[in-house]
Amino acid sequence: MSAHAEAALHGGEHHGPPAANQSSRIASVTLGMFLFIGTEAMLFGSFFTAYFFVRVVNPGATIITPEKWAVWPPLPYEFPVFVAGVNTCILVTSSFTMHWALQSLKRGNRAGMKAGLVLTILMGLAFLLTQMIEYAHVGFNTSDGAFASVFFGLTGLHGAHVLIGLILLTTAAVRAFRGHYSPEHHHGLELPGIYWHFVDVMWIVVYVTMYLL
Amino acid sequence: MRNPFRDEAAAFRLVLLTIGYFALIVAAAAVSRWVGLAMFVVLTAFVVRRLMSAPTRPTSGAQRADVEDTPAEKPGVES
Repeated sequence: MSAHAEAALHGGEHHGPPAANQSSRIASVTLGMFLFIGTEAMLFGSFFTAYFFVRVVNPGATIITPEKWAVWPPLPYEFPVFVAGVNTCILVTSSFTMHWALQSLKRGNRAGMKAGLVLTILMGLAFLLTQMIEYAHVGFNTSDGAFASVFFGLTGLHGAHVLIGLILLTTAAVRAFRGHYSPEHHHGLELPGIYWHFVDVMWIVVYVTMYLL
Repeated sequence: MRNPFRDEAAAFRLVLLTIGYFALIVAAAAVSRWVGLAMFVVLTAFVVRRLMSAPTRPTSGAQRADVEDTPAEKPGVES
């Protein structure tokens, strides 16, 4: 017997487990994403701790520079600052297109939503591809010292998060092209958008601390 | 402190603020390391002060579950 028939038979009473008690003032799905981002922020924090530790006790510090500061990365290695800078521009732009997609959805502009989503995914893929090419040409690998381990660890961790974000966005894009989502029901797109902006924020922090400063 | 990831618009605003924050630090560091450090300290103090003084939203009542766990007391029964 179907659930509707059962309910009709019993005078419309609901059967089954009761609705869960919601003690938070924000939606449970949003809370779930926020807690997940919190754990990921702590994970990045641990990697940054390792990075700052390695940088402070960098064995290249014995090299005397004109400013008498430690050399980072140790000679003769160099970080590809320009390529990473281009990657940063790509990822920041993808945040703009993601925001555009959400705003379009909330205004009922489905074409804008789809375009924004597709552009965000393409730029995310471009970011990952550029990073893989950067890894191939960087000139050192993980066995070349602690700085290299920290470099690949931090950037690789971020790359993994970009991949997760792309999976979420692709799922959302498939649903969007199937006609899901509306200005009233946009959580399925908003949550991947929040995660994508978190990934972007993390990359800005990684890029500035690792490559620029 | 309000959740910076409470919705997509807030998260996007955080991206822009992060860019501005680090852009100022990098620009200052390009002048001199000490200027960069000073800019970092000033900006971080500003952000912390802003977060500490941000008004908190009033908490709304929790949504009660559909099922009461505690059975109602029968009249005449001592607790």
